[in-house]
Amino acid sequence: MSKDHQQKAEWGLRMKKGQNSKNKKGISLFLSIILVFCILGGVVFSVSKKIIEEMSASAIQNLNESLDLIRCTMEAILKNEAEFQKLIAREIAASDDPEAYVRAYEKNQTMVKMSLILDGESKGVSNTGEEFSEDGLNFSAGGTIEELPVSQSYVNYMGTWSYTMKCPVVREGREIAVLYIEYVYDSFDQSLPDGFYNKKAMLYVMDAESQRFVLKPKGMGKRSAGHLNLDDFYRANKIQDEGLRAEASECIENADDILFYHDIQGKNALNYMWAVNDGTIFLIGYVPVEAIQQEGRTVNQSILIVVSVMLIAFFLCCILYYFNKRQQDIARKEREGEREIQNRQLAEALQAAQIASNSKTMFLSNMSHDIRTPMNAVLGFTALLSRDAGNEDKVREYTKKITASGQHLLSLINDILDVSKIESGKVVLNFEEFTLNDLVSSVDAIIRPMAKAKGQSFHVEVTGIKHEYLMGDETRVNQILINLLSNAVKYTQEGGNIWFRILGLKQRSDQYEHIRIEVEDDGYGMTPEYLETIFDAFTRAENSTTNKVQGTGLGMAITKNIVELMGGTIEVSSEVDKGSLFGVELEFRIPEGQADKLFWKKMGIGRILVADGDPEACNDIRVLMSDTEVLVDTALSIEEAINLMQEDDTGERYQAVLVDWNIIGTDALRTAAKIRKSMPVSDPLLFLAAYDQEDVEEVLRMENTGTLMKPFFVAAFKERMMELHKSAEENRSESAVVESLAGLHFLAAEDNEINAEILAEILDIEGAGCEIVENGQQAVERFMESSEGEFDAILMDVQMPVMNGYEATRAIRALKRRDAGEIPIIAMTANAFAEDEKEALDAGMDVHMAKPIDIELLKMVIKQHVVERK
Amino acid sequence: MRKENNKKIAVVCLALALMASSAACGNGNSDKVMVKSEKDKEKVVNLFSPMEKTDPDAGNIARAATDLTVIMAEEQLGVTVAYRTYTAQDYKDKTYDDVTLERARNNMDDMYLLNPDTIMALGEEGALKDLSGLKSAENLRDVVKAANIVDGKLVAIPQEVVAYGLFINKDMFDKYELSLPETPEEFLECCRVFKENGIETPIGANRWWLETFVLAQAYADLYNGGNTEAEIAALNSGEKKYSDYMRPGFEFLQELIDRGYVDAQKALVSEAIEGEGEDFLAQKTPIVMAYWGAANAETAYGKPDFNMLVIGFPSKRGQMPVMPMTGFGIGANAENAEDAMQVLDILVSDEALQVYAETNKVISPSKNVEVECIPALKPLNDRIEENVYVLGSNAGMKVEQWGNTCLIVRDLLDGASVDECMAKFDQLQAESLQ
Repeated sequence: MSKDHQQKAEWGLRMKKGQNSKNKKGISLFLSIILVFCILGGVVFSVSKKIIEEMSASAIQNLNESLDLIRCTMEAILKNEAEFQKLIAREIAASDDPEAYVRAYEKNQTMVKMSLILDGESKGVSNTGEEFSEDGLNFSAGGTIEELPVSQSYVNYMGTWSYTMKCPVVREGREIAVLYIEYVYDSFDQSLPDGFYNKKAMLYVMDAESQRFVLKPKGMGKRSAGHLNLDDFYRANKIQDEGLRAEASECIENADDILFYHDIQGKNALNYMWAVNDGTIFLIGYVPVEAIQQEGRTVNQSILIVVSVMLIAFFLCCILYYFNKRQQDIARKEREGEREIQNRQLAEALQAAQIASNSKTMFLSNMSHDIRTPMNAVLGFTALLSRDAGNEDKVREYTKKITASGQHLLSLINDILDVSKIESGKVVLNFEEFTLNDLVSSVDAIIRPMAKAKGQSFHVEVTGIKHEYLMGDETRVNQILINLLSNAVKYTQEGGNIWFRILGLKQRSDQYEHIRIEVEDDGYGMTPEYLETIFDAFTRAENSTTNKVQGTGLGMAITKNIVELMGGTIEVSSEVDKGSLFGVELEFRIPEGQADKLFWKKMGIGRILVADGDPEACNDIRVLMSDTEVLVDTALSIEEAINLMQEDDTGERYQAVLVDWNIIGTDALRTAAKIRKSMPVSDPLLFLAAYDQEDVEEVLRMENTGTLMKPFFVAAFKERMMELHKSAEENRSESAVVESLAGLHFLAAEDNEINAEILAEILDIEGAGCEIVENGQQAVERFMESSEGEFDAILMDVQMPVMNGYEATRAIRALKRRDAGEIPIIAMTANAFAEDEKEALDAGMDVHMAKPIDIELLKMVIKQHVVERK
Repeated sequence: MRKENNKKIAVVCLALALMASSAACGNGNSDKVMVKSEKDKEKVVNLFSPMEKTDPDAGNIARAATDLTVIMAEEQLGVTVAYRTYTAQDYKDKTYDDVTLERARNNMDDMYLLNPDTIMALGEEGALKDLSGLKSAENLRDVVKAANIVDGKLVAIPQEVVAYGLFINKDMFDKYELSLPETPEEFLECCRVFKENGIETPIGANRWWLETFVLAQAYADLYNGGNTEAEIAALNSGEKKYSDYMRPGFEFLQELIDRGYVDAQKALVSEAIEGEGEDFLAQKTPIVMAYWGAANAETAYGKPDFNMLVIGFPSKRGQMPVMPMTGFGIGANAENAEDAMQVLDILVSDEALQVYAETNKVISPSKNVEVECIPALKPLNDRIEENVYVLGSNAGMKVEQWGNTCLIVRDLLDGASVDECMAKFDQLQAESLQ
């Protein structure tokens, strides 16, 4: 395990431990809180319980006292009544006529009836007037008040419950009569409280002997409630427990007090039976427990409220703390995240800087090597040249090698400049209309010789393209293709294969042609590691095989940058010793009105026949021709094609026939002739052939017959049709090829003396004259001075003192001379970029040539612009 | 933003805490006297009324409607109505009516709920105040007024028109394919069928309400023959004898007793509903008699397990409801007579009677109050709506009917002959003529 990995693992372990300990802390904190709450809950519960118990005990005590108070009040009344009766008895004893005394008595609210039975008689008198006897009264229970016998309760003549006490009237030690006084229970009502326990307590006064309820004091329980006796009380309140009832009976019998819990109308209640006057009277009733425990409940409610408020406050604090902590955590994490990002960025920057530094170092090392190698060759051969100046053959050989080394150096410099320019964002794409035909042709023209030189097969395939006229920067596309293809040639062994495919993909928009360019080879291939860095600048596949290949290592970086600049993508797959496949996907805008329908009408072509063994190829041609409104019939064999042509006799004939060279077969000439004969001579016959197709030239001898290079492009087809059309009209002789520049006279503006000298020397070797001026101003002046036709062309450097090449060109073009607009002006400049070329052309120059001057190229340009014009 | 919010929350919490603490500390009562009892003299009106024995775990439903009106009066007048009550434990005890008379004569209470005979008795004694001056009295139906006027004084006003009827178990009648009896003969036939089918005592009775059979037969013609006033005048003048009216009913009762359709001995010692109610609800007895209100929900026969109907008593004029007039009277010398008058004026106002009638589903004494009755009462109600009924009491008759008939029926139950019973009526009539 590497040190780094070990550190990471340790850190991860530490993190896990940290997490674990955090979790454990959290759990223990949570448990602690639960414990605290449990303890708090327990304390509150026990305090509440204790309060309830104490309050209940206190309430029961209170109830006891209340009942005792009522009892005492009643007993006091009874005692007073008894004592008062004794007093009256004494008064009667003292009176002369006891019966008159009684009769004269007027009832009051307590003593409602007074009667007297004289000793020895069974009947007596009453204050109410009627005869009185003891018959209606029942003293059998034996109850007494202050030793006076008291009767069982009864409903008296007033319709209310009452009792009677009898008292002997004693005169001089002898009982002369018995005094009966009737008392009503209603009188108690005035002395008893207006209810207790907030009038929730129920109370009846019961006569113990009859167990009749004789009074319900005011305020004692609901006014609508009422019971007539103890049995009714038991029944209505569901006191059915025999044991309880027996115990209650025993208490009544023994004049004991009793308290017991029993539900009354669904509510827990404390029932009581309280003996008054030694059990002759009982207080019967109940009080709901909730009324007794009201204070306790209130206290508990208060405790509960306090605890609840505290809990809410606690939880609020917790929530606030939690939010605060979370905010802090978030802020901390943000800070950490920022720090991490900064660190990573720093690390990346450092790494990038290191990589860049390494790359630059490597690049410098490469460049040092790459520049020194050709430079070494230049210097070495120069030395050899000076030594062997006399030997013409050697001089030629040396200069040839010096030239090659110089060209290599130049390409190196161009690439470096290109990369730096793209990377600095100074590249501007120049969108213009171009045809795929031109693109393929120019690429083919460059790559095919290179491939051929290495004995490689170069295959060009174009399929599925719907539009071949497109808008784009042709120069840059060209650059991409040349880069990829030249690499393919470079990194493929001799005799290998290179495929160049242009595939039409499904259009994403009607306005754009979606194209995939594939460059495939079966060459050396690349390692996966190298594939990762292939598009980085200053890298180059290096191994024993490719070390021989020269290059700057910038080509792929440039390619990728250009592709991305165009909004495309580039991908690569490769296997060592199996080859590589580069795929570039690009979208090009389709120019409006690209199809020149008029051309075909003008040419009288409305229908053509295509004979190709490959149905896909036939379809491609049909698709490409679809915009031209030219009908395309296809035949997959020669026979079919001939049949179709013959069938045409009745209908519209084919105005042109395209035949794939590959289906002609072995006896090509004869077959071609056969086809030619099958159609009118006036109609063109074109053979679609690959660049390296053999025997094609032979068929061209046939009249109105030509070839069309594969792949098929409408533009190429159109061009060839025009050519055939022209050749039919003109018998054009082959123009003489200017082999040299002999006799031509140039005006050259070049501020660098060496370059001026080289230029003069080269032109001199070619037999051309040259007049050198040092800047643009002089060039303009010299041209003004010259006679018309004195100079065949002006070779113009761009960067010059006083007046640069562009300004000079504009000045010359602006002159009011007939030849001022015609004379070819050739830019010769070290400003070798596409923009420079554009600027040159914009300034009015005819052609742009990058320095150093390639003499062959110069000759060709001069031929085009000077000789041909002449 | 978050910090701002936190600050706000903190400020609010602090404010609340401050308020709570200041509220907790701010017991501003600085008086040294803790309780100051204000002894305003409370206005109390004592109401004496009977008490129904309540069911376990239930309020006294019978009083619920009266309570509502009493509360109305208390709220409007600021008085307290205190309830006083008496209920006989058994037949040996003084009756409610006995006690009422005694209490009224001794001015024990201010207001009394009186049965027809006590209204008559106390009215004649002048122990009751004339209530005709009350505003509410103007709303009373004529029949109600007529029944409660003694010596030209309106001495009692009821909260409901009490109608007695036969409570029958329709399911049992249907079981033995018996139609509802209209006449005494049909009634006897029904009883015969029941008896033959093993129902030992087809009629459940108590010591109070058997008189309704007698009264229905006695006065069916008198009250529904179109010559009521003349006939009453004839009775009052002695031209006609009460005993002649009463005889058929007593003979009918005697027959019921003789045939064993009524258990005379049990009836004699049974309080109302207590004696016969249980058997009726248990479907052992198909026929009992009771007052209108007993059919309403939450009362004695409110929720039977069978299809119950309340019909009139058999008479030669068909099913006959018997309506004794009860009512509230105010003691002539009551301690709080004036307050009691005001209370009563509210208790029998249209507003209160509406509440009362809706609560108890009874016939209201006010001509302005109409309430729909429950389905079981419909047969009885239909007859009353047709103005076909017999008054159980009539202050216009010099011999009090409701109480006297009840007592004489008890004699019959106790073994007296019909002739003996008739002799008592003759005696009463003779006393009244004196």
